[in-house]
Amino acid sequence: MLDLFYAPLTETYFQKALIGGSIIAMVAGVVGSLVVLRRMAFLGDALSHAMIAGVAGGYLFMKLAFGLEAHAPGMLLGSLIAAVTTVALISFVSRISRVKEDTAIGIMYTGIFALGVVAVSIFRHYIHIDLMHFIMGDILGVADIDLWVSAFVGAGVLSVLILFFRHFQLATFDPVMAASIGLPVVLLDYLLTTCVSLVVVSAVSMVGVILVVGLLITPAATAYLLCDRLDKMMALSALFGVTSVVGGLYLCVWLDSAGGGAIMLFCTLQFLVVLFVAPKYGLFFRWMRLRNLVPQQAVEDVLTTVLRNKKPASVDIIRKYAVQGKNLVKVLKRMTQDGLLTQQNQDYALTDKGYKEAHTVLRAHRLWESYLESIGTPETEVHSIAHRLEHLDQAQTSAYLDKKLGSPKTGPHGKEIPAKIP
Amino acid sequence: MIKETSFAIEVAHLTVSYNAKPALLDVNVKIEADQLVGVIGPNGAGKSTFIKAILGFVKPDLGTVKIQGTHVKNAKGRVAYVPQRGAVDWDFPITVREVALMGRFQKIPWYTSPRKKDRDAAMEALDMVRMTDFAHRQIGELSGGQQQRVFMARALAQGSDILLLDEPFAGVDASTERAILEVLERAKRSGKTLVVVHHDLSTAAEYFDKLLLIKQRLYAYGEPYMVLNEDLLSQVYEGKLKIFKDVVKKEEN
Repeated sequence: MLDLFYAPLTETYFQKALIGGSIIAMVAGVVGSLVVLRRMAFLGDALSHAMIAGVAGGYLFMKLAFGLEAHAPGMLLGSLIAAVTTVALISFVSRISRVKEDTAIGIMYTGIFALGVVAVSIFRHYIHIDLMHFIMGDILGVADIDLWVSAFVGAGVLSVLILFFRHFQLATFDPVMAASIGLPVVLLDYLLTTCVSLVVVSAVSMVGVILVVGLLITPAATAYLLCDRLDKMMALSALFGVTSVVGGLYLCVWLDSAGGGAIMLFCTLQFLVVLFVAPKYGLFFRWMRLRNLVPQQAVEDVLTTVLRNKKPASVDIIRKYAVQGKNLVKVLKRMTQDGLLTQQNQDYALTDKGYKEAHTVLRAHRLWESYLESIGTPETEVHSIAHRLEHLDQAQTSAYLDKKLGSPKTGPHGKEIPAKIP
Repeated sequence: MIKETSFAIEVAHLTVSYNAKPALLDVNVKIEADQLVGVIGPNGAGKSTFIKAILGFVKPDLGTVKIQGTHVKNAKGRVAYVPQRGAVDWDFPITVREVALMGRFQKIPWYTSPRKKDRDAAMEALDMVRMTDFAHRQIGELSGGQQQRVFMARALAQGSDILLLDEPFAGVDASTERAILEVLERAKRSGKTLVVVHHDLSTAAEYFDKLLLIKQRLYAYGEPYMVLNEDLLSQVYEGKLKIFKDVVKKEEN
């Protein structure tokens, strides 16, 4: 069993994949937090696709100019240029035409991706780029040079983000205020876009074009469900990135599957688990909260039932007139906690606070009955409609009805309308 | 001679246009210090351009904006801005304390972290708006009025003498409106000048010391009873005057 975990660790390819993947995932998580909060996820997708043109361009240029084969820094630089060009084109198109930004992104990145694909196939005798590798990534075949590149990129991007954390925080949260105190908001935008491009470019060789966005946003979104502070979100997001890589790599070795795919699969599962169990923003706890919520209507029904009973009411009476089912225990418990009811022997009595509220609801009920009668509602329906309407915001409705009806003292059948408690 | 700093904001000949359409046309106004000023005008009257001009975001075609006697371009941060509630991402992972701390960012050099005196200043500002109990809450968990107060605290922590508020009363109930107004008045008493974009004419006279009626050009600036006169309002609000008839009447009584 232990061997299952230990054996892969002795393999060099696994070690490299682990190191390279973790570095990239960590940085991607930190940058990704800002990407998620700024709603830039689609742009990240665009950058990853656009870079194939840059890779091809960089490859071709270094080969023709210096005779270097598959020169990594050259390709990296080419990718960056392609990314920046894409961003510039996107903002150009969305600014000067009526085409909106998301459409502009879609047009530009597919266009540049297509340019790259065409270039790679035309120059296939000069440059040897495996398109499949580019799209799917190859984390198990990480070259040393890729490791170094990712380490430098990671260190650089991380330094920038930590150094200017406050600036990014403010420019993301409230760009207007950021500009008003003189922060260079546009420059920060470009700096962040450059950071995203760098991370994307160095991650593509490992997880591929299609999955790189996942590495950027999924760990960040996972952390987003757990955190109420940006610095914590970034740290947690980095952690989730690393656990995705570790978990995914083991998954890939055990299942003998594609590396990039396994990592993203693990990452997504991780997100889904957190989505369900996160304490504050998770689905499970939200469902629990909803379940524990005691409806105001039930509370008011219990109050009026006890009031009408004129003496402490037993559970049976309350069950008969107010709340049926097993909810009742919960409602009574909550109302006792809130100081609306007190328990006397087996019966429930109103506290002063409870009496006041009950009085308000009863007054609303009687006023509604009078009103309904005055507009000619059939007698058989008066009570049930009033019973529904009595739960509307009483402060507003009672005052209005009272005025409209001329402050009546008694309702239909001579029932007394209780006066307003000041 | 009046000394230069007696005016908080001086706007002279301000003309701003977008694509040949004038957003502001020859606006001249001097806003005195220690005032609660309401900016009113119909939709599309250039109120937001006016705000942007005071914050120094727009490049005017003509004219100047001076903040406490300094050209607006050199007065970055002297006007503290409180955004509209709709413009804020309330799901942002940030606590009340952190928002207040943002008010200090301009004073913190880029290479250091916020120090104790910054954190103290932020807490002090939260204390002024009575929000210290909520310091560690995420901002989305607060009620509308509390949210507005947090951003007031941020503006106070900034230490600016001039506060610019964009529709602080939009979308809050009457009692919250009272609470916010109280905070504004407290800020005014402590020597701040507050410029508030406001859309509700029926409360404008009651809330503000001075009103500024704007629709591309400046129609009036002065005491509410002067600004809220039927002639001016009918010019600015055109056909929609009927609604405001009783506003004017109320003023006359």
